Amino acid sequence: MLLLSFVTISLSSQNRGMVLIPSGSYKPFIKGQADQLKVEHFWMDEKAVTNAEFLDFVKANPKWSRAQVKRLFADQDYLSHWRTDFVDQNNSQQGNAPVVNVSWFAANAYCTWQGKRLPTLSEWEYAASALPQGSKDSSSLQEIIANWYSRRSQVENDAAAFYKSEFGLWDMYGKVWEWVYDFNSVQYNEDSRNMEESPEGLFCGSASLNANDASDYATFIRYAFRGSLKGDFTVRKLGFRCAKTIENQQ
Amino acid sequence: MKSFITTLRIKTFLVLLSGIALLWSCKSENQPKIVDFNKAVTGEVRAVLTDAPMVPPRIEAKHNTKVIVELEVIEQTMRLADGVDYTFWTFGGKVPGKFIRVRQGDLVEFHLHNHPDNMLPHNIDLHAVTGPGGGAEASLIAPGKSAQFSFRALNQGLYVYHCATAPVGMHIANGMYGLILVEPLEGFPPVDHEFYVMQSEFYTTGKFGEKGHQDFDMQKALDERPDYVVINGAVGASAGENAMTVKVGETVRLYLGNGGPNLISSFHVIGEIFDKVYVEGGTLINHDVQTTLIPAGGSAIAEFRCDVPGTLHLVDHSIFRSFNKGALAQIKVVGDENHNVFTGKEKEEVYLPEGSSIQRISSGKQSAAAEVIPEKNLQERLAAGKTLYNQNCMACHMDHGKGIAGTFPPLVNSDYLQALPDKGIGVILNGLQGEILVNGNKYNNIMPAVSLSDDQVASILTYIFNEFENGGGLIKASEVRDWRDKK
Repeated sequence: MLLLSFVTISLSSQNRGMVLIPSGSYKPFIKGQADQLKVEHFWMDEKAVTNAEFLDFVKANPKWSRAQVKRLFADQDYLSHWRTDFVDQNNSQQGNAPVVNVSWFAANAYCTWQGKRLPTLSEWEYAASALPQGSKDSSSLQEIIANWYSRRSQVENDAAAFYKSEFGLWDMYGKVWEWVYDFNSVQYNEDSRNMEESPEGLFCGSASLNANDASDYATFIRYAFRGSLKGDFTVRKLGFRCAKTIENQQ
Repeated sequence: MKSFITTLRIKTFLVLLSGIALLWSCKSENQPKIVDFNKAVTGEVRAVLTDAPMVPPRIEAKHNTKVIVELEVIEQTMRLADGVDYTFWTFGGKVPGKFIRVRQGDLVEFHLHNHPDNMLPHNIDLHAVTGPGGGAEASLIAPGKSAQFSFRALNQGLYVYHCATAPVGMHIANGMYGLILVEPLEGFPPVDHEFYVMQSEFYTTGKFGEKGHQDFDMQKALDERPDYVVINGAVGASAGENAMTVKVGETVRLYLGNGGPNLISSFHVIGEIFDKVYVEGGTLINHDVQTTLIPAGGSAIAEFRCDVPGTLHLVDHSIFRSFNKGALAQIKVVGDENHNVFTGKEKEEVYLPEGSSIQRISSGKQSAAAEVIPEKNLQERLAAGKTLYNQNCMACHMDHGKGIAGTFPPLVNSDYLQALPDKGIGVILNGLQGEILVNGNKYNNIMPAVSLSDDQVASILTYIFNEFENGGGLIKASEVRDWRDKK
């Protein structure tokens, strides 16, 4: 029954370019939480927001252009890879690449402008846990992550080029990091070995290492990365994609 | 009452005694100095940073000063061994990271920059810091950001610094470590040469020597089974053409570090005895040491005088790491022989006790001989042969096949080799023992059989025949196979 209503929703034109992520659960990284965290179904952009798409947003909202953006909302490297304030790149290939050097505030504003929002950390982690299409072996996903970590990624690539997951999402791993709405909700300790003093016992480095699990190790890096961010930060390998709540749940 | 007075007297006596002990201990040269950290420093200098094996000059100022250190984190792909690349995470662009040199009592203003092209957040924990996380908390930065913090160098010593961002083990395993020296204000006694030597391990998806870009292998790191144990960041980084060079009669001080992430180094210099070792890089001095332990995340300072010419091999005496995994550096000592110290070989005769027979160096249960690999052309053979030679032959036959007079026969312009009808295939596959005559000199030693594939043997020999003036030519894998088949 549920599936039928999904089909109806997905036909709606306003969600073009998004895929429906079905309800489900995932094993959270942080110890002390439930064994499985439940995530309600939601819409998610099938690929990261591109330079070309972000350019449309900036043109429609000049206050988010390089020249006019408030320093409070984006640091001095905001969109620094663009040629000018209103020209993203000089060839179409880069136009299709994920936009990077955007702050959390800018990403949030883009999604709001689109009638969407940033995915929550839980939504993102759950969505990203889906294996590449056609793969039955979780090691294929771990391999993508491990290769990404141990080699330099190419942000110039097309936003949809690398792999498509069972949920229909392109390149959750392997290209750029992505902002989430509550990126700072896990109080990551700046010294990753600090176990006793980490607030609420949320972070336990050695527990993760002792888990002896490659995918956990990879997750560790992701959490460390988020922990190093502030809302106005822009990073050359950090982009985003939007999500949307399913309002009409029959 | 009486007993009370007696107690008092005893107490007074004890206080006196301990006072004397205190006075006496103050005279000891090993007594750590206490820094008055409330006293301000004067002036400032920008620290000179160096890559291994170089060490920065000491700061000349007579008083304590502010030292500004600028260190940049760079993630980049570089050579780990010939034909093997790895994406290193570095402090300053090389592994090990830049050597930092300050004095006890100096105020260090530390700037850590995370290059915008980097993928990951990083920070730094300097063991020389007295403060939370050794600076780690104060320095966590996303790519494209900088952090600044200051610390007072309270304790003398040679300290490791490293990245402490999650997952800490992976950051260290990828190359994020280096040394910071906090020397006494007046400096260490002068020596002729100071070198920076740091050991560490790499955990790669492929086996030692496997070509191409290698990724970090987390399981091997957890199991503490590295494929590479190296000195100064890569196989041969400070050996062969890159060896350190000194003259006979000169004194050497080695600043030794071990980045780990897992192994303890049994550090030894073949052909030398350390006259002086600052144990664990601290103020305790030991004399006349053969092998000194360097803990992971720890250090040692070793000093010696080079009395005779020759090549000194710096090794981890957990010796397979040195001859099979890369942990080898060299100091070339040039100058005149001193026969009062070392004579060289005075006499040589045959000694064959029971049970001495040729040993095999095997890379596995099955030799790779059967593997079918297409024949290579001359260029390909030379390229492959160079790496294989360096990995399998150079430890004895030396750089450019020069050999060691009286012990290991030369391969360069070798009449013995050129006269062999099988072009030396048999020597590699079967080993060799007994007396031979090479270019007019007698050699009597044992060479182990080396277990290599037909393709590898062909490449090594092609390399030796072409690069070492043995008349050139292309040796084919099929010739090696035929040789095996005949046996």
